[in-house]
This record gives sequence, C-alpha cells and structure tokens, in this order.
Amino acid sequence: MAQAGNVLSFGEFGLQALGTSWVTSRQIEAARRAIVHQVRRGGKVWIRVFPDKPVTSKPAETRMGSGKGSVDYWVAVVKPGRILFEIAGIKEETAREAMRLASHKLPIATRFVSRDAEGGVS
Amino acid sequence: MEKREELRAKVRDILGKKVRFLRRQGLTPANLYGRGMDSTPLQVETPILERLIARVGRNALIALRVDGDKKPRLAMIRDIQRHPLSGKLLHVDFFQVEVTQKVRAEVPLAFIGEPPAVKTLRGTLIRNLTSLQLEALPTDLPRSVEVDLSVLADFDQVVHVRDVTVADGVEILTDPDQVVAHVEPPRVEIAPEVEEAPAEEKKEEGETE
Repeated sequence: MAQAGNVLSFGEFGLQALGTSWVTSRQIEAARRAIVHQVRRGGKVWIRVFPDKPVTSKPAETRMGSGKGSVDYWVAVVKPGRILFEIAGIKEETAREAMRLASHKLPIATRFVSRDAEGGVS
Repeated sequence: MEKREELRAKVRDILGKKVRFLRRQGLTPANLYGRGMDSTPLQVETPILERLIARVGRNALIALRVDGDKKPRLAMIRDIQRHPLSGKLLHVDFFQVEVTQKVRAEVPLAFIGEPPAVKTLRGTLIRNLTSLQLEALPTDLPRSVEVDLSVLADFDQVVHVRDVTVADGVEILTDPDQVVAHVEPPRVEIAPEVEEAPAEEKKEEGETE
C-alpha cells in the first residue's frame, strides 16, 4: 500500500493505481501524452510519479558473466493507492475520458478519483 | 442553545495491531484527547460514526458520551484516517474542547463564483490551498470559509490568504502571503512536428541556386 502520494494534492481529478508494478518512463510519457492529447487546450496536468529506479539488462546473445549489464530503462515503483496523474481546470467527462485513455498505456489497474467524491478533503 | 449531535463511545482495551479485529466487528478505533488530559483510547460503532461524519463533518461540536460518564463531553472530530483504496474508516481522533478556550482547526475552503479569466480568457483555475488553519472559540469555528473567485479578472491577479475574510473572533493562522487561487493562461496546442519539411525545402533551394 502506498503510504505517501495516495491523496489528491493538486488537481480536481486523478488516476489512482490499484495494483503494484514498475511503471517505465516510456509508459508514463505515453500516458501523459494521451491525457494532453485528449484535453487539448486548457487544463493543467500533474505527474505524481517519477521513474528514479534504474533497471539494467545484458545485451542479447551475450554469455553470462563479465559483470553487470548497463542501465536499460528507468522505472517508478508504484504501489496500490498511489495517485499517478492529477488534472485540473476541465470538465469531469473530459477528465474521465483522458484518464481512461491514459490507463490503457499503463501496466496496472487504475481508477478515476475526484476531490468531491473523497468525502470532504480538508 | 443549538442541539448537538450525540455519539456514544466505549473505552477501548484493545490496542496496537490487534485493533484490526475490532474493525472486523464493525467498530472503529478512536482516541479522545485535549488540553491537560491524557489520551483515552475509545471504540465507536462504525455505521453510526460514518453517518455522523456525513452529517456534521469535521470541526463540528458533538456531545461525546463515553461509557461511565454522567455528562457528555464536548468534542470535535480532529482527524479522520481512511484506507487509501477502500475508503473505510481506520481511526478517528476526537479533541475535547472547552467552550471558553480557543482551538485551532483546519477548515476547508469553499470557492464561490467563476473567475472572469476562466470565462473570457479560457484560463485554468488553480486552487493552491484547500483549507485554512483557523483559531477561534469552538462555537465560532465555521464549517467552511468562502473564497470569492470573481476578482480573478486576468492572469496576473491572485487571491492571497490575506484577501480571505472571516467572521469576527476568528483568526487565520495560515501565512497571509500564501496564494489561495490563481488562473493560469491556457496551454498552447503543440504544433505538429515539422522536422523533415524544412530540410527538404533547403535542398530544393540549394538545387535552384
């Protein structure tokens, strides 16, 4: 369970992770683009995860040994409850659709959350 | 005198990680604390507590009747912990107050009006704060603080904490220079990528020369 970053802090709507996964920088960027493309003008998007964990791999068809592989890509470790994206300044239907499109770019189950439905954020 | 909501609670013997068994039985662990008193662990029936929170919210004064007490205690809900995914109640803090003593509380902001900068200039309203730290007598504490957004006519204007008005006897403790809300200019649509086109034009120009 995500102990930090599990509440909406900036925007009115958000995308919350329901599972655990490593989300790569490419997946985050693809999801961000999906949101921005759907929203077009207006609105502000916050990305609440950052891929700060390097993942190494050895080149294809290489014999074992001779040290550790080089950094291949970067991931963000996501745990259930983590808010991945937040958005403000747009209608709920647009935000819902943008988050739906973004969720298809991610390797985990997610859900749409809104500030109003949180039961009075104070 | 205003009739206060009453809530019955029992003193809790089960402490620590074992409180999960209480939650399974439909009880929510809680604590009651206040000025000059030790914290008392309590347990409250979850459905009753949920209904009370939905009705009065935080910062409202309630009459808390802990078993064995002859007179109910005046308390307010200070903190509500919920499960990040299921939203179920995990724990509630009650703060015992005295009517004559000022208390500090986090009071949510209620934004009213539509900023002209959003309506006419198609900007994006950014709410930087969602609540304010207030100090007042428990009976004077408002349920929410209204913020008028109709003053945001262009992108240079911002609503600061010092611009927020509260009733007499209520003091704002949040930094007065903090921004409550502002309007950002609309994002410019990203132009389609034209990386290859100029190169071709250059070639053509070179050929004609």
